[in-house]
Amino acid sequence: MSSVTRRLFLSGTAAGLGALSALGLGPFNLLGASPAFAQQSAPRRGGVLRISVDQAASVIHPLRTRVNPEYLVAELLYSGLTRLAAGMQVEPDLAESWAPDQTLTEWTFVLRQGLTFHDGSPCTAADVVATFTAILDPKTASPGRTNVGPIKEVTAKDERTVLFRLTSPYADLPVALAYTNARIVPAKVIETDLDSLSRSAVGTGPFKLVSFEPDRKIVVERNPAYYDPARPHLDRVEVLVYPDRTAEASALISGDIDLMLGTAPGEYQRLEKASGVKALRVPSGQFLNVNMGCDQKPFSDPRVRKALALAIDREAMVGFVAGGYGTPGNDTPISPAYRFHREQPLRKPDLVQAKKLLAEAGYPNGVDLTMIASDKPGTRTELAVAIREMAKPAGFRIQVQTMPHATYLDQVWKKGNFYVGFYNMQATADAVFSLLYTSDAAWNETRWNNKDFDALVAEARTKTDETERAALYAKAQQLMHDEVPSVIPVFFDLLAARRDYVEGYELHPRGSVFRLDFVSLGAAAPKRS
Amino acid sequence: MSASWLLRRLALILYTVFIVSVLVFGITQALPADAAVTLLGENATAEALNAIRERLGLGDPIWWQYLRWVGHAATGDFGLSMRTGQPVGPEMLTALGRSLLLAVAAILVMLVIAVPLGMVAAVRQGKLADMATGLISYLGVSFPEFVTATLLAMLLADTLQWLPATGYVSPLEDFGGAVRHLALPVLTASLILVAHVARMVRSETLDVLHSDYIRAARLKGLPERTVLVRHALRNALLPVVTIVALDVGYLLGGIIVIEEIFAIPGIGRQLMVAVTARDLPSIQAGALIMSATYAVANTLADVAYAVLDKRIRYD
Amino acid sequence: MTDLLRRLMRTPQGAIGLILLAVLAAACLFGPWLAPHDPEKMDFLGRFRPLGAQNWFGADQFGRDVLSRLLVGARSTLPMALAATLLGTVAGAVVGTASAYLGGRWDEAIMRTIDAVMAVPGLLLALLLVSTLGNGAGNAMIAIAVTFAPGMARVTRAVALTVRGQDYVKSATVRGERASWIIFREMLPNVMAPVVIEATIRVSFAVMLFATLSFLGLGAQPPASEWGLMVAEARQYVHQAPWILIAPSLAIAMTAIAFNLLGDGLRDAMNPRDER
Repeated sequence: MSSVTRRLFLSGTAAGLGALSALGLGPFNLLGASPAFAQQSAPRRGGVLRISVDQAASVIHPLRTRVNPEYLVAELLYSGLTRLAAGMQVEPDLAESWAPDQTLTEWTFVLRQGLTFHDGSPCTAADVVATFTAILDPKTASPGRTNVGPIKEVTAKDERTVLFRLTSPYADLPVALAYTNARIVPAKVIETDLDSLSRSAVGTGPFKLVSFEPDRKIVVERNPAYYDPARPHLDRVEVLVYPDRTAEASALISGDIDLMLGTAPGEYQRLEKASGVKALRVPSGQFLNVNMGCDQKPFSDPRVRKALALAIDREAMVGFVAGGYGTPGNDTPISPAYRFHREQPLRKPDLVQAKKLLAEAGYPNGVDLTMIASDKPGTRTELAVAIREMAKPAGFRIQVQTMPHATYLDQVWKKGNFYVGFYNMQATADAVFSLLYTSDAAWNETRWNNKDFDALVAEARTKTDETERAALYAKAQQLMHDEVPSVIPVFFDLLAARRDYVEGYELHPRGSVFRLDFVSLGAAAPKRS
Repeated sequence: MSASWLLRRLALILYTVFIVSVLVFGITQALPADAAVTLLGENATAEALNAIRERLGLGDPIWWQYLRWVGHAATGDFGLSMRTGQPVGPEMLTALGRSLLLAVAAILVMLVIAVPLGMVAAVRQGKLADMATGLISYLGVSFPEFVTATLLAMLLADTLQWLPATGYVSPLEDFGGAVRHLALPVLTASLILVAHVARMVRSETLDVLHSDYIRAARLKGLPERTVLVRHALRNALLPVVTIVALDVGYLLGGIIVIEEIFAIPGIGRQLMVAVTARDLPSIQAGALIMSATYAVANTLADVAYAVLDKRIRYD
Repeated sequence: MTDLLRRLMRTPQGAIGLILLAVLAAACLFGPWLAPHDPEKMDFLGRFRPLGAQNWFGADQFGRDVLSRLLVGARSTLPMALAATLLGTVAGAVVGTASAYLGGRWDEAIMRTIDAVMAVPGLLLALLLVSTLGNGAGNAMIAIAVTFAPGMARVTRAVALTVRGQDYVKSATVRGERASWIIFREMLPNVMAPVVIEATIRVSFAVMLFATLSFLGLGAQPPASEWGLMVAEARQYVHQAPWILIAPSLAIAMTAIAFNLLGDGLRDAMNPRDER
């Protein structure tokens, strides 16, 4: 293990990437694209970038952000200890290096020198400790609480060194610490008035907050004291809210905006044809699933779950709900975009077998079910409607019930027996498994509670050898494929677009990482004050 | 119109606001799923929910919450939005300003189109112009805003690319941009009004044209144009004041859809957002402000009617 | 009744209105049999198929036949609007007549409260009510009925006030009849004619309001082929397949036009002297 420790020790970006490969998190490029920062010519400095988002960024409190537009604003204003690069590999942010002990239960992170917050005060280990203590405090109500790893305790060794003690070995901690809510805020704000961060921003990020009008426009400007003097390239970023997808695409085509966070398949086709516009697309692990309560009839019988899985034509589903821009799913959340994806033949629809399984499970005359789909995003309902039709000939008589997202979260989510879920890609296989499918998962929706699966995921956490991990995760995926705790028929490609003159932007498969500090405007960009 | 009449009208506004406040508060209390849930999204643990509910004061008895809300609202303090943490009152008033801009523009556009249309139809009763006006009226009142808005946006914004499809630009920042951005919503909002008012103007003008009073004017040998403009128009416009006031009520409802479709951050859209997010303070403030606006507009119309009526009768 | 119908057919509005309504009624009654395809049958290869021999009105994002969906969807659109109007009219008529009968302070209090409730814009009230009751066609119907009731109460009261002065009501009062008997047996039947005209025109509002609620995601729910919902779902595909948006839009407008025409026709037919 000592050799592992040495290999894991990072100093600087280049060494970091090498070590990451050792961890099985090495760089990989889905479309063979070059990394964001490897540009032909030096990026131009200056200019105003207008970026559009499809819903309000109503929460700018970095510990409490929940949706992509909010993650974007938080990422502009704040930094974490680590961050995710374009290919999902971890790279240094405020921390310049890190290393675990031999048991992977104690991790030491060293901060960069001379870090300051936007108000000029220094950012030290004490701020990091205070931040993580706040995230882990249930009273803070931070969504990141269950996603930053099995942290038992965080302490400051000196001004620049932070020690994380974990409850169990965890090889993925540096990735987990790049979580969207793990943004460092000043200790003195946490002590005095943590809620003030809902209205103002004190971070260490590449930009500073200028104005905040949640439903319309958020403006940030360059932070001259950012730790990397070369970045950001832009003077100012304006985040504009366009609640209507069609209007948003029209605005990009007409040049009112320079870059959009995401778009829908129908609009993507139009953007591809528009002149002066570059349509962006990246395969992702974002998925829709049908969750089944594995502890209740009829889904307590795995044959019923498998029968439903066999009724679904996954390739057609990619067309129906993803407009063709996606990958068929095999009932595990690990899409081909993940590091540890396991190749496996796609589950083909087999209605005869599905009927037979259903009959064996005690439903020779079919079964009546109500599937619930929240109204956001609209694809949930589309999936439900499509599944209803596909499963009909197999003997599933499904009533689709839609409801407002708020009611769904309150009454159905994690409680319901049969409903449609929707999730972003996570940074690692471990993150998605332990978020949704292990017995102690934060959001254990299916109550599958499979001990073998739990053991496989737990063991993979303690391994740093890539082949060993791959073997363990392959077994875990096979188990899910066989037992079908939830039907995962489709993964979405992320779609977006930019104007031709926007340089250095790469659509990130995670969906919640943007890296606008690497973005610059080409010579053809319109001059805006 | 006397002082006591005015006082009575003011008392009625207060009564209206009171009834509406009870209604709105009652409804918001009964809403399933509270803001704490939407605020936390998929991270709602029991502890986190309680922490937020405590912070928002959702645990107190209902009558106390009502009194506290009314007391604060009377001083203009509608509390903090559960969604954004910003004060609700100023946010809603800013939004109301944008909505009123839209509403007033729609009414002006409507008047410019509808009054001549109605008059021409009346003068040429039974002729082609009359039939065309009738057709426009029927079509106008039969297309719900969301249909008109969607079709207009499809045609003028997406296909022809003449106008921006959505968004709001403040006229103070960029007047030309504001006009371009307001064009589609104003067109949508004024269409139903045109249909409504053109019909009204037509029927009122017909009434007036058949009255003894106009007959007398004609017998006096006044030119037809003078008869029409000086006498018929002014008398026919009187009831239009009332219908415009009623249409303000329709408009305030209609802008919910129009603002939603054209993404104008007015009070209608803010209300939609608030309802979706179960943001109780915003729903309460928005509904109350909207209803009060309507009540005031109605009263103003009554006052205007009374004033105009006197002049015209003794003309 | 046949006489009224004959007179109705003689007015151009009434005639066109009745014809349109006959078409709609046919769709409501026989829609599923008239539909050329199963309205929920998906066809992967037929996604966004344009208008043609196979799908007369084209196919939607699931390859479902738009015409079939429209025909079957008439059932989830029209009866709801009619029921909402009926419910709202009955409730409003009872309150309005009662208010007129009671008179004095009661009348004043009831009418001022009704005015106050009417200060809440209809769509907003419906929106809040549906959010409270829960999304769905049934709840949307109730919300529309509640929204309509105050306006109908006002109209009814105005008519009832004139009825109240009539001799037969006075004599019933003198006979010492119970208030409920007078309201329901003597007054209500005599205010019906103007109320029916008003209600007919309101049906077109109800159709639009119901479609609007569905459009906003609060009324009918997928996979229903309610027309407002069809418009809402079609919006995101407007660039690929504008027909899936236009067809239900026109269906809604046609229904509203039908009831508007019928209402105007009825008014003319019932007041033959009024030539406007």
